Amino acid sequence: MESDELFINMGPVHPSTHGVARFKLRMDGESIKECTPVIGYLHRGTEKIGEMKTYLQFIPYTDRLDYIAAFPNNYAYVKAVEELAGIEVPLRAEYIRVLTMELNRIVNHIVSIGSLLMDLGAATMIMWGFRERENALQLFEMLCGARMTFNYIKPGGVREDIPDGFIPKLNEFIKDMEKRIVDYEQLINGNEIFHMRMKNIGVISGKDAVNYGWTGPTLRGSGVDYDLRKYEPYSIYPDLDFKVCVRKEGDSYARFIVRMDEMKESLHILRQVVDNMPATKLISMAEYGISPMTGTPTAVSTYFPRIFTPPAGEVYSRIEAPKGELGFYVVSDGTTKPYRVKIRSPSFCNLTAIPSLVKGLKIGDLIAAFGTIDVVLGDVDR
Amino acid sequence: MNSAEELKNLLPGSVISTGLQLNKPMAVVKKEDLVKAAGKAKEIGFDHLSVITGIDYRDHFEVIYNFFSYSKKQNLAIKVNLDHDKPEVDSLTSLWKGADWLERETFDLVGIKFIGHPNLIRILLPDGWNGHPLRKDYDMNTEQFVTIGDNGDDVVSPDGTNLLRRK
Repeated sequence: MESDELFINMGPVHPSTHGVARFKLRMDGESIKECTPVIGYLHRGTEKIGEMKTYLQFIPYTDRLDYIAAFPNNYAYVKAVEELAGIEVPLRAEYIRVLTMELNRIVNHIVSIGSLLMDLGAATMIMWGFRERENALQLFEMLCGARMTFNYIKPGGVREDIPDGFIPKLNEFIKDMEKRIVDYEQLINGNEIFHMRMKNIGVISGKDAVNYGWTGPTLRGSGVDYDLRKYEPYSIYPDLDFKVCVRKEGDSYARFIVRMDEMKESLHILRQVVDNMPATKLISMAEYGISPMTGTPTAVSTYFPRIFTPPAGEVYSRIEAPKGELGFYVVSDGTTKPYRVKIRSPSFCNLTAIPSLVKGLKIGDLIAAFGTIDVVLGDVDR
Repeated sequence: MNSAEELKNLLPGSVISTGLQLNKPMAVVKKEDLVKAAGKAKEIGFDHLSVITGIDYRDHFEVIYNFFSYSKKQNLAIKVNLDHDKPEVDSLTSLWKGADWLERETFDLVGIKFIGHPNLIRILLPDGWNGHPLRKDYDMNTEQFVTIGDNGDDVVSPDGTNLLRRK
């Protein structure tokens, strides 16, 4: 029996949209006939700003893309610039970078899982999650003075060395977090209502996921064994031992479980980084550009001039951010500002699949599917 | 032999030149043969369309497609050159569903028309926006005001007459 078609506008301000996104829904009774996402409410023209700022000035803007996990944004842009200019980075700096990025991955997954559970009607997880997130944010604050927008990773290294007392506090966090993840699993994994809401909802096959350009935990939830950290390694990832978390089912539950497993792997990486971090000693590095007037190369950064002109050329450099493949396409024309900065954000590309993912489902399932894709609208709209 | 040269061997007539995009193999392709070349790339294993970048070089446009192969773990970039007066190229939406939004974004911000795209409308900026911001001749000083019209659509005006407080 066909009922009347109903048009529902969901958003732009809706708790489950993790920002400001809007869905235009054509409903047949209770099921979604057609879903049209409307984005762009948070568009700030970051790519245009990139053309108007110097290479160093643009780094703070990258913090504002995916503001839940900003270290990987810093790093992805800096990595592109470093590849373009051929800048060497001290080993200790690479260790600190990986440390921050993996810590940020845990924070991202906590927020992702917490807000997903809250959207499904269970507020406990986000309360628990934010307790641990606070500890991590305090660690970030110790490191660079900021809790969410860091501007910490810069070409040639990181801004400052890690402060005294950071490593013991980090060890404490790792030890605590290990127990907390077990708590999370006990809280959620066996819950029957949760299973009913998540299993076989928003199913996508591995082939389709690749065709849609999905990356990151969402792709790995569909059985595609791919992680840039493992198969196109950058920084110190080749030396680290970790496994790629994959689930075959391709439904919302699989994507959720992949994130839970990844948190454990990140903790495993963090422990290795802490154990193997080279001691603070001045390592002489090749200087870049004109001779330093003030800055000197240290164990955590090579000298990097304020006015910096990389050779003309173009590069596409990508990393495994917590949400998926984050890439920067930087074109240099040999002046002090980039000619073009293109941001390939994981949230934007992952969101492409939402109309086909939720076709025929209920509105509540749209929330679940949208939550497991894990987008941040700052990253989508740029 | 890198992947760009492999593509040139398979399609000698379509690939103009091969080279490197810093460290990734890149093939420059005739713009008429883009779909053919991308289809061939997909056939030989490049199943992931990573990003579409449009660049305004003032005298011409370039569109760069970055591909990746999950089976071979290799990169490939395909570049097409477009006239500045007529920036049009065939759409890849028939091959990759993910190309849909990437092409819409390139259309929105750079103003490149993708022929055969099912729904080529603005995605980040409101409908009716004047100009394409990532073009080098985009006027940064002209203000544009956006409000929501009676039927929920965006209304853009250059002088702010659509704002309530100015009435």
